Amino acid sequence: MDGRGFMFPVDTAIGKNGRMHTVSRAYAPAAAQLRITMYDIESEYFGIYGGYGESLGQFRWPTGMASDSMGNIYVSDELNNRINVFSHEGDPIKYWGEAGSGEGELNGPSGIAFDSEGNLFVSDHMNNRIQKFTKDGKFILSFGNKGRNTLNMPWGVFVSSDGFVYVADWGNDCIAKYDSSGGFIRSFGNRGSEDGQFKNPSGVAVDKDGYIYVTDWGNERLEILDKNGNFIQTIRGQATISKWADEYFEGNYEEAEPRSRSNLEPNPVQFGGDPHEESAHIEKLFWGPTSVKLDDEGRVYVTESNRHRVQIFERAV
Amino acid sequence: MVSASTDVKLMAHLLRRAGFGATKEQLDQYISIGYDRVVDSLIDNEDSSRIDNALVRRYFPDQSVTHDTTGAGSYWLYRMVSTDSPLREKIALFWHNVFATGYTKVTNGKPMSDQLRMFRSHGLAKLDELLLKLSRDPAMIIWLDNVDNHNGAINENYGRELLELFSMGVGNYNEDDIKECSRAFTGWSIANSDYIKQLAVRNSIMPYGKLAWRYEYKEEDHDEGEKTFLGHKGNFNGEEIIDIICAQPATARFISRHLYHFFVADEPPVPSWPYKEPQDLAAISILEKAYFDSGYDIGEMIRVLFNSDFFKSDTCHYKKIKSPAELAGNVLRTTEEFGTPNIRISERNSQITFMGQQLLNPPSVEGWHQGLEWIETGSLTERVNFASQHLGDLSKPGVRRIVQNVMDDEGECISASVCVDKCLDQLGAIQTSQYIYDTLVEFAQENGIPSINLVKDKENAAKKISELMSVVASVPEFQQS
Repeated sequence: MDGRGFMFPVDTAIGKNGRMHTVSRAYAPAAAQLRITMYDIESEYFGIYGGYGESLGQFRWPTGMASDSMGNIYVSDELNNRINVFSHEGDPIKYWGEAGSGEGELNGPSGIAFDSEGNLFVSDHMNNRIQKFTKDGKFILSFGNKGRNTLNMPWGVFVSSDGFVYVADWGNDCIAKYDSSGGFIRSFGNRGSEDGQFKNPSGVAVDKDGYIYVTDWGNERLEILDKNGNFIQTIRGQATISKWADEYFEGNYEEAEPRSRSNLEPNPVQFGGDPHEESAHIEKLFWGPTSVKLDDEGRVYVTESNRHRVQIFERAV
Repeated sequence: MVSASTDVKLMAHLLRRAGFGATKEQLDQYISIGYDRVVDSLIDNEDSSRIDNALVRRYFPDQSVTHDTTGAGSYWLYRMVSTDSPLREKIALFWHNVFATGYTKVTNGKPMSDQLRMFRSHGLAKLDELLLKLSRDPAMIIWLDNVDNHNGAINENYGRELLELFSMGVGNYNEDDIKECSRAFTGWSIANSDYIKQLAVRNSIMPYGKLAWRYEYKEEDHDEGEKTFLGHKGNFNGEEIIDIICAQPATARFISRHLYHFFVADEPPVPSWPYKEPQDLAAISILEKAYFDSGYDIGEMIRVLFNSDFFKSDTCHYKKIKSPAELAGNVLRTTEEFGTPNIRISERNSQITFMGQQLLNPPSVEGWHQGLEWIETGSLTERVNFASQHLGDLSKPGVRRIVQNVMDDEGECISASVCVDKCLDQLGAIQTSQYIYDTLVEFAQENGIPSINLVKDKENAAKKISELMSVVASVPEFQQS
């Protein structure tokens, strides 16, 4: 299936020349919608690639994305237990990965991230660990599933420019920080909805100043912490009408007209403090924020599966 | 043929009707608690599930937004398979059939799922509370056009069905009552109604997926005038209409008959009720009394029902045909295929549809006509294939454990009759007719079960026993409740 738009997108990679690649996970009866869409920040559309299946260039449960120094796009597949590699133009190159729980084997690879040396960290979530591979899939090390502070179904992973590994520890409701060898350093946050707390965080990213961005999936928000883990800011979502949506309404007056008379920002109090329900009713809010990514210009990209969109923020300072 | 004790048979009967059946291991636990306390816990326990919502939403964003029948139906199937409060799901199925609301017109699974959530949480509450929730339910407001029911220009659709299909039944009111009832519900609408109606008609997901719907009372559109309803006169709003409805003996009869039909034994189709007396008038009278004694409390009516002689009587065991959802819930809970979220759930949901019951999409406002109408040539084949395929699949953890339980304590060999006895027992103390029992024993014999060494040829024995389970899944008593 061709065309713009996303269907349950779960991650975005910032690729070569500022081109963005967003993977749509879709769902079983709509497998034809499962694909990666290429576009840029001006909403210029460059096409799609990938699709449902188990052959080269295909995936079934795509989850995480990362771009290497050459601009190649890597996509994890939780169900096929593999990492797919595409060129920056979307041509399939190869895939690697074997199912299992032994060293180098995968059981539900989700978030992925490169370090500055070109090695790929994979959140091997059903094995409750992070694994480090060369970009060709050669196993280097794993950590997170032994001793104290073991991970619990980790999702997003990020490697900072100074080599620290941050993990969105989904099942433990915190962000875990490791050194480049997998040595546990500390964790940030605990379960809750207050400032600095998390409910099932899905993604994490750290900017050049050390600020930590977390998609707090269960609370349907983006939280920003300083480098010491102190709470800085919460963002619930501020979506506007995208260029693609605007063009849709230009051709669909029957929807545009009654929409213009509608209240799409009802008082959230009536939804009983349930963020899932608030986001279901209030269109501009994040709903299912599954990843946060940063670009070199300091912009923040939040992919939200349930609203089929990516919200992009400029850093205020 | 081994006959289970009365306690076991009764507990198995209760769990088939109040839930989705129970294996021997589960029955043993329930029996240790005692029948009365199990009844109380089924009714009084809060909704809980072994699979956390977050876990389902992580893997299935379509089940997080529930925007269509695939996502919403699959999510509901998860609930049935994983719930620790099976009566909550059964009562949701019950009201989903009585207050039948269909996706074909609503075209948004989220309000449908919200309605089911309301049935789960309020389906065992007092009827007046439930009818009030129903009257404010956005899916119902679109389904029966109350969104177009305006002051000075009534739409009678909801008012008519509220009386005919949701509370009293034909013959207990007249056309003027319908009009007056409809006037009372003017202004009971949804927010952004023009936009929502347009999106529903176009089945549009643009620009950012389907919006959730919410109830909105439009005071300026409500008819404040005096109304005369069922002999009562006043400036009624919807709340007062519901109070009057719930006080009617006809409502007590109608709800009692529905509960009897769902939990005890099949009554004729609802349209014939005005002309046919209930098959067990004494039982209906007991339920009617419970209705008034408890202040219209559905949970209390069901407590009386489960503790009654007419429910416990052997004569009503296996007299109902499991709906496709009940059958699937029973099979998938037994196989334990879905201990964690699994991509095959939407496939299983589709199989329920092939058996004749698309969840969230009943065929009409009358719901599904249950009983023998579940059994047609095509649907029967689907039912048997579904149950046999899954209960005969040794890769499923629940099946493997049951097979192991059958082999345990048998030494090196097992006779055909003992193997059949243990399979029936493990699957929930199933009592078959002598003819069916003899047929199963004959199959076990011809399939070579008695000649297999259970110790030296364990895998072959397991395979043969799983094949016997597959046949058990096809017998009438397994397909019945």
